Amino acid sequence: MLAFIIRRIITTIPVMAFVALFVFSLLYIAPGDPAAVIAGDQASPADVERIRQSLGLDRPYLVRFGEWFFRVLQGDLGTSIFTSLPVTQLIAQRIEPTLSLMVLTLILAVSIAVPLGVIAAWKAGTWVDRAVVGFAVFGFSVPVFVIGYLLAYVFALKLDWVPVQGYTPIAQGIWPWFKNLILPSITLGTVYIALIARITRATMLEVLQQDYVRTAQAKGVGNRDVLFLHSLKNAAVPVVTIIGIGVALLIGGAVVTESVFAIPGLGRLTLDAILRRDYPVIQGVVLIFSFVYVLVNLAVDLIYTLVDPRIRY
Amino acid sequence: MDRRNFLKTAAGTGVLAATGGLAMPALSQGAAAKTLRFVPQANLANFDPIWGTQYVVRNAAALVWDTLYGIDSKFQPQRQMVEGEEVSSDGLTWTFKLRSGLKFHDGTPVLAKDVVQSLKRWQARDPMGLMIKAIENELSAVDDRTWTWKLKQPFPKMLLALAKNNAPCSFIMPERIAKTDPFTQITEYVGSGPMKFARNEWVPGAKAVFEKFADYVPRSEKADWLAGGKNILVDRVEWVIIPDAATAAAALQSGEVDWWETPLSDLVPVLKAHKDINVDIGDPLGNIGAFRMNHLHPPFNNLKVRQAVLTAMNQEDFMRSIVGDDDKLWKPLPGFFTPGTPLYTEAGGDMLKMKNVAAAKKLIAESGYNGEPVICVVAQDMSATKAMGDVTAELLKSIGLKVDFVATDWGTVGARRAQKTPPSQGGWSMFHTWHAGADCINPSSYTAIRANGDKAWFGWPDVPAVETEVTNWFNAKDQAEEKAAMDRLNKAAVENVVYAPTGFYLGYQAWRKNVTGVTSGPLPFFWNVAKG
Repeated sequence: MLAFIIRRIITTIPVMAFVALFVFSLLYIAPGDPAAVIAGDQASPADVERIRQSLGLDRPYLVRFGEWFFRVLQGDLGTSIFTSLPVTQLIAQRIEPTLSLMVLTLILAVSIAVPLGVIAAWKAGTWVDRAVVGFAVFGFSVPVFVIGYLLAYVFALKLDWVPVQGYTPIAQGIWPWFKNLILPSITLGTVYIALIARITRATMLEVLQQDYVRTAQAKGVGNRDVLFLHSLKNAAVPVVTIIGIGVALLIGGAVVTESVFAIPGLGRLTLDAILRRDYPVIQGVVLIFSFVYVLVNLAVDLIYTLVDPRIRY
Repeated sequence: MDRRNFLKTAAGTGVLAATGGLAMPALSQGAAAKTLRFVPQANLANFDPIWGTQYVVRNAAALVWDTLYGIDSKFQPQRQMVEGEEVSSDGLTWTFKLRSGLKFHDGTPVLAKDVVQSLKRWQARDPMGLMIKAIENELSAVDDRTWTWKLKQPFPKMLLALAKNNAPCSFIMPERIAKTDPFTQITEYVGSGPMKFARNEWVPGAKAVFEKFADYVPRSEKADWLAGGKNILVDRVEWVIIPDAATAAAALQSGEVDWWETPLSDLVPVLKAHKDINVDIGDPLGNIGAFRMNHLHPPFNNLKVRQAVLTAMNQEDFMRSIVGDDDKLWKPLPGFFTPGTPLYTEAGGDMLKMKNVAAAKKLIAESGYNGEPVICVVAQDMSATKAMGDVTAELLKSIGLKVDFVATDWGTVGARRAQKTPPSQGGWSMFHTWHAGADCINPSSYTAIRANGDKAWFGWPDVPAVETEVTNWFNAKDQAEEKAAMDRLNKAAVENVVYAPTGFYLGYQAWRKNVTGVTSGPLPFFWNVAKG
């Protein structure tokens, strides 16, 4: 197992290198010019050109890529064109809100979606099943920002239970942290709950048809044990897979959710950087996200071996 | 540490933090009452007001850095950091003296050498600064409080150049910081203005914090825009960046923020209906909507085609697309200058009042237009440019021009508009923008009105008649001469279609009723603003 983990981590290096090359090249050929944004709307073309030169944006592709890649290998993601702050510092400032949002969303989603999916499968064809499927369709269909605005209107503006926007670091107290994050987490989690609930329902339906389930029932095992001990574990592999894939959805959804709730996370940092063409920041954030995604996939593979002992690496 | 101990420690830390057991940077309630929370028009992504000239940077910089002179609401330059100035009888030597007791935020006194170095950096980036530099003999400190500016020829607009609020303003920095190349960003934000920048609390894209500078000595005169006594009545001003307009509106309604600089017009009725919120015009100088046509390439290198566009244009269509049905928020603009300002003129602006599609079609026929596509580049991520772009596309089609509508983002427009290549080779025919009315009260900082060919703003109009009148305005001896030059300038700019003004429009600002002292102005003024 240890050998597998080491091998997997080593194999991430070429993946990351390819991602780095791809992202850098994409930004190089994409239209847009940070110098024009920096100079402001009233600047003369000559001013814009001087800024381009001072930022080194006029240098050839290979020179720029080589310098950047060499720095990245040393753990230096460069300096933001706009803020003149190190990209690592900008990411460090923003990582806590995004991680908090993702973790809370994940906890909420899994703890709600898995029981929902299991119950829907158990009560297949009844109104309970139809309600769960209906909720799943709703979760998929309604855009994230609409859910966000609705929740903010009801729970922040009308009921005044939670703040409309912002983020409170966990160091300032778990309750303030939670109050700021609960609406964004529900907002972001809606799609995720829908996705996991549907997959759980489908795989559970399949498992519940198996002979060993009928045998367990015939032996007089209680419904709860049949569902959560005998069946769910055998349905878990696809569910774990979809949870892992869902992390990518979370990253994408975080961009919108962080904007709607004005959370200073990596999603907003990425969006701002893209709009301004702050290349080092975009490249840095994409690399971090890619690395997280590779690690999540590794974690999913490892969890497979826990839920299904037949899987060995 | 094993898993169980780790979980115990983590949980314990969480409980401690939640109960206030850990040291926290949070403000006490008393301090919070003295904090003004402000939602600016955009993100403060960098903080060098010479290197980056976005309005949001200028607005923040006005808190941290002071200027030698400040413009007042009558557009007159007033002394701010200076005690006095003298100009020699031939107009060639200006001598200035700093008022005493000025200090930078690091505790060092403001000296003439700081002023000289700051002005040198500003000169390199400012259009008026460059004009002075072109006729400069020497700019040097005489002693700690005095410096001279020796010129080769008189420059009557000297005080206006030092007082103007158009970016870049001539902010005064310590000499060591001002020595930074004007095209490289400074990294130390030390000024002598009424507030200090709390660099350690700055989260670009989320928050910028300013703290009251205890050693600031305001002038005794009443505050009036950038002139007069800048008394800060709160301990802290926090800029909260909220990119989503609906969220900003909700935050203002819930009291999480106190003041919103630029509410979206769609949300203004909701704010007006709220019992705890005031809504009023933000900047009385407003904005001038615009689209630039590329004078270098067909079809807009043809004067008749440009004139056809102006002849057919109905500015109301453009303005309604931006401000909706609120008639208080817009005016037709038969010219290029800011309505309500002393030199405003409509001379020669008849073409902009015609709204005559038939006459425009006739001009197109006479022009010899042979069907080249108009590459209309529109930034979709800015509501005003998107709205104007849609109207323009219909306008061009209505007079028989073939339109290739390129919907993109501002970052791309910013880069593409700098291309001088033909539209078929990655260039462009037209793009949309707007100009702050504060920049358009006269030609001094009005980059967009200049028509000096290669040196002109994007679109590169080359109209000697316009440039002659710009020079005449700079050399004018009195306001009557200035007004006459402006009349001729407006006429020449309309006839030659330097660019297409789409109308004049205003925007609202909104603030909680427990905040007092908010005024209308070309930028948000935080002095004399109190929070109850």
